Amino acid sequence: MKRIEMKFITMVMAVFFSLTLFAQIDRSQQPKPGPAPKIQLGAPQEFQLNNGLKVLVVENHKLPRVNISLTLDNAPLLEGEKAGVVDLFAAMIGNGTASIPKDKYNEEVDFLGASINFSGSGAFANSLSKYFPRILQLMADGLQNPLFTEEEFQKEKDKLIEGLKTDAKSVTAAARRVEAALAYGTSHPYGEFVTEASVNNISLADVQRYHQNFFVPENAYLIVVGDVTFSEVKTLVEKEFISWTSAKAPNITYTSPTDAQYTQINFVDMPNAVQSEIAVQNLISLKLSDPDYFPLLIANNILGGGANARLFLNLREDKGFTYGAYSRVGNDKRYPVRFVASASVRNAVTDSAVTEFLKEIKKIRTETVTEEELSSAKAEYNGSFVMSLENPQTQARFALNILTENLPADFYETYLQKINAVTKEDVLRVAKKYYKADNLRIVVTGKASEVLEGLQKLNLPIFYFDKYANKVENPLLKKNDLPTTTPDVVLENYLKAVGGRDKADAVNSVYSLATMEGAAPFALKVTSKTMVPNKQVAEISADGMGTLQKLVFNGESGYQEAQGQKVSLEGEQLSEQKNERPIFPELYYVQEGYKLTVEGFENVSEQEAYKLKVVSPAGKESFRYYAKDSGLLLQTEASISAQGMTLTQTATYADYRDVSGIKVPFEVTQSVGPQKFTVKFTDIKINEGVSEADFQN
Amino acid sequence: MKKIFSLGLFLVSLYVGAQQVSFEEYDLPNGLHVILHQDNTAPVVITSVAYHVGAKDEDPQRTGFAHFFEHLLFEGTQNIERGEWFKIVSANGGQNNATTNDDRTYYYEVFPSNNLELGLWMESERLLHPIINQIGVDTQNEVVKEERRLRVDNQPYGRILEAVKENIFKKHPYRWTTIGSMEHLDAATLDEFLAFNKKFYVPNNATLVVAGDIDIAKTKKMVEDYFGPIPRGAEISKDFPKEDPITSPIKAEFSDPNIQLPASVIAYRTPSFKTRDARVLDMISTYLSDGKSSVLYKKLVDEQKKALAVQAINLSQEDYSTYIVFGIPMGGTSLSDLVADIDLEIAKLQTDLISERDFQKLQNKIENQFVNSNTSVSGIASNLANYHMLYGDTNLINTEIDLYRSITREEIREVAKKYLNPNQRLVLDYVPEKNN
Repeated sequence: MKRIEMKFITMVMAVFFSLTLFAQIDRSQQPKPGPAPKIQLGAPQEFQLNNGLKVLVVENHKLPRVNISLTLDNAPLLEGEKAGVVDLFAAMIGNGTASIPKDKYNEEVDFLGASINFSGSGAFANSLSKYFPRILQLMADGLQNPLFTEEEFQKEKDKLIEGLKTDAKSVTAAARRVEAALAYGTSHPYGEFVTEASVNNISLADVQRYHQNFFVPENAYLIVVGDVTFSEVKTLVEKEFISWTSAKAPNITYTSPTDAQYTQINFVDMPNAVQSEIAVQNLISLKLSDPDYFPLLIANNILGGGANARLFLNLREDKGFTYGAYSRVGNDKRYPVRFVASASVRNAVTDSAVTEFLKEIKKIRTETVTEEELSSAKAEYNGSFVMSLENPQTQARFALNILTENLPADFYETYLQKINAVTKEDVLRVAKKYYKADNLRIVVTGKASEVLEGLQKLNLPIFYFDKYANKVENPLLKKNDLPTTTPDVVLENYLKAVGGRDKADAVNSVYSLATMEGAAPFALKVTSKTMVPNKQVAEISADGMGTLQKLVFNGESGYQEAQGQKVSLEGEQLSEQKNERPIFPELYYVQEGYKLTVEGFENVSEQEAYKLKVVSPAGKESFRYYAKDSGLLLQTEASISAQGMTLTQTATYADYRDVSGIKVPFEVTQSVGPQKFTVKFTDIKINEGVSEADFQN
Repeated sequence: MKKIFSLGLFLVSLYVGAQQVSFEEYDLPNGLHVILHQDNTAPVVITSVAYHVGAKDEDPQRTGFAHFFEHLLFEGTQNIERGEWFKIVSANGGQNNATTNDDRTYYYEVFPSNNLELGLWMESERLLHPIINQIGVDTQNEVVKEERRLRVDNQPYGRILEAVKENIFKKHPYRWTTIGSMEHLDAATLDEFLAFNKKFYVPNNATLVVAGDIDIAKTKKMVEDYFGPIPRGAEISKDFPKEDPITSPIKAEFSDPNIQLPASVIAYRTPSFKTRDARVLDMISTYLSDGKSSVLYKKLVDEQKKALAVQAINLSQEDYSTYIVFGIPMGGTSLSDLVADIDLEIAKLQTDLISERDFQKLQNKIENQFVNSNTSVSGIASNLANYHMLYGDTNLINTEIDLYRSITREEIREVAKKYLNPNQRLVLDYVPEKNN
């Protein structure tokens, strides 16, 4: 018995032993990583042709294939009235050359099983390595000697216009277009877009000119990656590109865009939308070479870099509002780029989603991120950096960036070092600097009838745009909701609001003293005296500097003075000054033949306002906004021309106070383009402190 | 004699050598099929599991389940808390995702190669004991609805596939789309989700692929450790209803609120991607619309300006394929004119042999596609899983090109004649919704 028992125990022990041997893993514990893999960062071989073309070659013989890419590092171009030239150019180039007819060229590329694609800023080809010499030759010929015919031009033009229609009702296409247009303005290369009208302005000569000016080798980089040898590439490239005429592409600079003056919603109505496209954005200046680049990369990774980031975890995994919520920051060596946090959300949760976006942006700007978030973000970059090296294109991309982005030669060798050096404090600092909580533009593209009511409850000013970024009325105000109010009523309400028409009529002169902020690095003093109907003296001075600028006008003639130089008012300036009515212009409109129309309602300074269009007898147009509730003037808008550009000049009026029984705004904020300054009045007197003598020239 | 012979052999092996994807495959006792592919050129490793369950395995009253699982199975396991999955992957420098189609569901993680064990642990956790509960179901139900709105309901031409499938398939479960019905998902109970998991998420219905910078022996040991103890599930039989042949033309119309230009869609029901005929149809679609010199593009878009775009797609699947020709007419061309023009080119294929040069062009294109199909370890892993699970021959990753190469011009003509006939197809007018 005992023996048997013993044997049984040994058996049990043996089984137990073998079981433990077998089940040696403890799956309740997450496995620890092994030692980090070693990174091999190779560098491409390089050479340059006399015409400026730089060539980078990465030999990789794993597969019998080659990729060739040409990158033209040209400054962006504003196409303006002819937006679409580059699209047409890209559609036309690569269809034959001066010596090979179109059909033959296309057939040969297809026949070799290869592809060559051209764009406005370069070209890309893929081929089996055995056909590399011929594909390189076809690509070189295609880009140096393209065949541009009138017939092809017409065809591509028709296709481009027709193609615009395939996206005409696309909610996402409209959203992306308006988001860029509102961020940059349509007179910036990054904000403009192609329309049927702009395509119709283009001629074949425009396409040819684009090729001539921009497809030049000075800032061109040819990259060859794959199953080739350096010497083979060098021989072939020298042969095929030697006759590419050396030239530099034009470098035109454009005014940098500016952010929204205050955080606001920009709404685009798309009645067919089943989801709202939300993009919360502001502009940032960030180059790859900036020290802030790495901290901001980490900050953005934590905010919205992927499935482990706050926006995704909050809006998708916690709330189920969306399939994905992300944020991104670009980098650009020339112009500001956008920070964009975005998601497509169902109509019903549009306003709640906006609230969550704002909450997350606020949080990352005010609280330090956790140690776990920071180390996870770093780990993600460490991992993706290591893994990106699997692709032989990566080496070439790194080398190209070093050349074009003004980076130190060891930028990528020390890349992970820089990532790993980022601290929680760095993240907080850059989040505060680059996520501009007070200047966000929240672009919502969606179905007004289902989402607008919710958005209106967020207590943010809302401006409305059509799908081409033109300002429009609130789409929910149907035609019969448009103000039936006539201009007379708006004016009468205003006069009543300031104290009554009689009181206004009795104002003969106004004296004011104010300080002006934002126009100069030091405080400015403004003294102004006006008298009906059009007499005016204004003086800007600064402590210790005396008078800086002065305007004197006696009703018939006058001058401007700056730094001791007097210039008489003449021509258009004189007649404008004559026609100006500085004191209650509302009293003069009817008798002087101004054309007035009430154009609708708009949100101004978070109040609903009548928009009054005012056209002078000379045809000059301006807009005045009167609060619907209080009747007071909130804002004026006029276009002015300066240095060949048309800018909108806006003045907003606030802080109305009583002066001798009349309500007067004590704060006026003026903005012209990117400039903005605020005038705060310290003293205003009515019918005292001003005499005729003040206006003598 | 001998010398010339061996020279020939040398050339052949040199060519194959540049292309060969080496792999090792075996079954664990619980039925899990394992495929290992070693490539130490970059420090990257992928762990992926393909499950032989797709939209076609769903209850017709519960469409969308297979795809729903692709979301649900990121919610957590007994050892990975809810919300931790993505964090673990990121914190270890990895990336992950999953995809679902009508035939299979595929999950993967890509990590720097020092995290191979982590990837195996996560995938084995998902298979062994995922947590499926009401919170996860409710959250992902909303997310999936957003995915449908994003990809289908808010996109121009987003519902073409739905319109084609419901007309081409009457009995087979390919008649619904992978994303499925939101009403079905709303109506589903937790028990139904648990039952679906128990039935399909078992090792004997799965293929594990580990590819990249690995050591084969160590990897085998780890696979055994993590996946060995997972119990085998009940056998799954796949017995789907067969479709009756289409013998008379089907005409249909579908209206889309997101478009302004109509589109013409022609669709034929064709055989499984496992068949030789399906591969011939792949070549036909390349001939018709791939590249600027392809016949439909050249004639309809370039020369005659009758179409803004035209595309032939052989949508290959496990049980049947769908051969679709899609065109957006331009200028004054009507939808029916466009169909007639497309028919003219198909008729030519059915009567004349394509030229020798066009034939050589197809061969070159196939070779280029083949070379470019296995450029990353994650691409290789996905191909290995598909070839094993759906085609039944993992080595097709190396040999499928030979099948294509053996196709003749005569076969192209015969297959066009066999399948691409007006009485065997759907003609769908895909039109803008009238404003209400």
